[in-house]
Amino acid sequence: MDAVEKANTDRQKRWAKDQKIGEGTYAVVYRGREIATGRKVAIKKIKVGQFKDGLDMSAIREVKYLRELKHANVIELLDVFSTKQNLNLVLEFLDTDLELVIRDRSLVFLPTDIKSWMAMTFRGLEFCHRNFILHRDLKPNNLLIAANGQLKLADFGLARDFADPGYKMTCQVITRWYRPPELLFGCRYYSTAVDIWSVGCIFAELMLRTPYLPGETDMDQLKTIFRALGTPTEEEWPGHTKLPDYVPLGNFPKTPLRDLFSAASPECISLLTKCLIYEPRRRISARDALKHPYFMTGAYPTHPSKLPKPASKASSNLPLEELDGNAEPNGNGPGVKANAPNKLKRKLSSDDVNGGSRSIARKLDFTQHRQP
Amino acid sequence: MSRSGSWLRGTVIRKGGNSTSSTRTGTPQIQSTSSTVFGGGVKDASGRVSEYSSMDDTCPVCKSDRYLNPKLRLLVSACYHKMCESCIDRLFTLGPAPCPVCAKILRKLAFTPQTFEDLGVEKEVAIRRRIAKEFNKRKEDFPDLRSYNDYLEMVEDIAFNLINDIDIPETEARIAAYRQENAALIELNVQREEQYQKYLKEQEDAERQEREQRALELRRFEEEEREEREKDRRELIDKLETSDKDASKLVARSRAEALRRATARTSSSTVASSRLQRSRTAQSVVVADVPHVPIQDDWYTYDDMFVLGDSYDDPASEAVRRDRDGIMRAGGYRVEEAWERALRSAVAGLEIMPPQGLSSDDASLANGQDVPMASG
Repeated sequence: MDAVEKANTDRQKRWAKDQKIGEGTYAVVYRGREIATGRKVAIKKIKVGQFKDGLDMSAIREVKYLRELKHANVIELLDVFSTKQNLNLVLEFLDTDLELVIRDRSLVFLPTDIKSWMAMTFRGLEFCHRNFILHRDLKPNNLLIAANGQLKLADFGLARDFADPGYKMTCQVITRWYRPPELLFGCRYYSTAVDIWSVGCIFAELMLRTPYLPGETDMDQLKTIFRALGTPTEEEWPGHTKLPDYVPLGNFPKTPLRDLFSAASPECISLLTKCLIYEPRRRISARDALKHPYFMTGAYPTHPSKLPKPASKASSNLPLEELDGNAEPNGNGPGVKANAPNKLKRKLSSDDVNGGSRSIARKLDFTQHRQP
Repeated sequence: MSRSGSWLRGTVIRKGGNSTSSTRTGTPQIQSTSSTVFGGGVKDASGRVSEYSSMDDTCPVCKSDRYLNPKLRLLVSACYHKMCESCIDRLFTLGPAPCPVCAKILRKLAFTPQTFEDLGVEKEVAIRRRIAKEFNKRKEDFPDLRSYNDYLEMVEDIAFNLINDIDIPETEARIAAYRQENAALIELNVQREEQYQKYLKEQEDAERQEREQRALELRRFEEEEREEREKDRRELIDKLETSDKDASKLVARSRAEALRRATARTSSSTVASSRLQRSRTAQSVVVADVPHVPIQDDWYTYDDMFVLGDSYDDPASEAVRRDRDGIMRAGGYRVEEAWERALRSAVAGLEIMPPQGLSSDDASLANGQDVPMASG
């Protein structure tokens, strides 16, 4: 026991904790550094005390899988140690994430920038899948970007290894907008294809600069998907009607992706289509995606160091509403909206109530306005 | 006063509707009589709306003119008919209503101040503004000059149709089709434009800063020089007072010293400016893009030491293989993956020499080559 404690304090001494930079549901993140080298790190302090039944599941998952994975496009877990009541994960320090990049309207993406981000995402994902790990929470927010521009998969709090036959997996994973239809239909046996769907959504989001399938509820998410991609037929996705939570949701027609992504190259559309195929078995694998012509034809992907980055913390944190405030989609001629129309109406009608009848004709008074 | 000059007058109006107060007597002040704030109009460089008004204004609806109502303010409807604020209040306060001239349904908030004397110009400017927002392709977006010119021709066509009310529904449909087709490009061009504006602004800021810096430095130099000269003079007088050397020699020496200091100063200032130059060139170091390498390690460069069979005697996966309802198939679950994993775990590392020692380098190498997890 004593030897374990000693090893722990030795490890603890290697790292220094600086100021707090963020807080999640089950962890607080601090900026820190390695004392010997001064290298910047992020220290994730997991709140253990709050949970009656031991350590939080996602903390276990994060440690379990990140300990095993080492790849240029996966966040690196440098060390784990405990202090008093808490567990501390020492992670690589990464400046920003893809969501901030997408939301920063001052940045312009070139097609090659998107190609570069997608290549890095698929490389990281291929590595996870090769090691039989499903990420299960891919979204722009979890794709962190290092100072040198390298994109890294992060947040393995929902990850798990592939199920052995006969073991059910939960379908309540992946942030809703990036959740594939088989999970929404309550499927308990799934595979790497779920992550590919999420990557497809991120791919589309990079081109649109807005979430591609933003459903409001789980049911609405399915409708949103079908509205965008058409309702799947039995030939397209054999057996999907037998899934546990299947409900018929009306017939939406198919619209080719080209209509929405008109500026994209044919290879780009082809890869996106393959990521968003309904039948999970036919969905492209990460490995095949990396060999897709999209990455091979046309201009090379942008070098990571040249990818656009948000200029500073302050400007990137602006809420979206503030950035595109008074845009008037199809007003008559130039103009700014002075006031919300309904607000104004309410004001006027209350005037009527209070002031009785409004005078329409004005009394004419010639004495004041006579021209000199 | 002469009335001849004042029949046409552009008056600058703030967005709130209050006029800039004119002190000249006899000038009708435009003061909004409405409780509504009318937006729109064409803004000048300082962001204010300059509004057109004339002495001969008459509201075509109530026939009220500037003589009867000095605060008369005519606004333009979406169908480009003028009427006065009190008429607008009267007609449209209770919701959308038909235009008294052309019977088009109008809303109160869609009225805008008039900027140009000729309403035709007003309309054309508004339409062209609207068109330019969406038809923002650039020459670089086209393969050749010919298609760019065709595009310009088409834009001109659409603008002409809208201005002269020719085939409005068909033209609108054309615009909608174009918008749908080019949504991404339009967005990109808008962003490009913003980027360019930002770049210009940054450039300007940098230049301004540099100028300020230089001015500051210059001022500091002058100050220093003045102080030094003062000091020298005082020292010289002191010396002349106390020393018994030749006065002309002392003066010559102090002069030489002052000259030396002055040259040293100018050389240091050139060093500073060259540093600025260098920092600017350092920013534009070019990194070449590299071709796409699908998998950036050598995982797939050797053959697996096993061949996956078609079927295994595996009681655990019985349920999956029997899956009559296709639940697992529909979810994308493949029992082959589980088998492959089990096999890979069993044979992985067979051909790899055990790592020497336990340095972190060796461990990471093993991780890259090896299947990192035990099964289960």
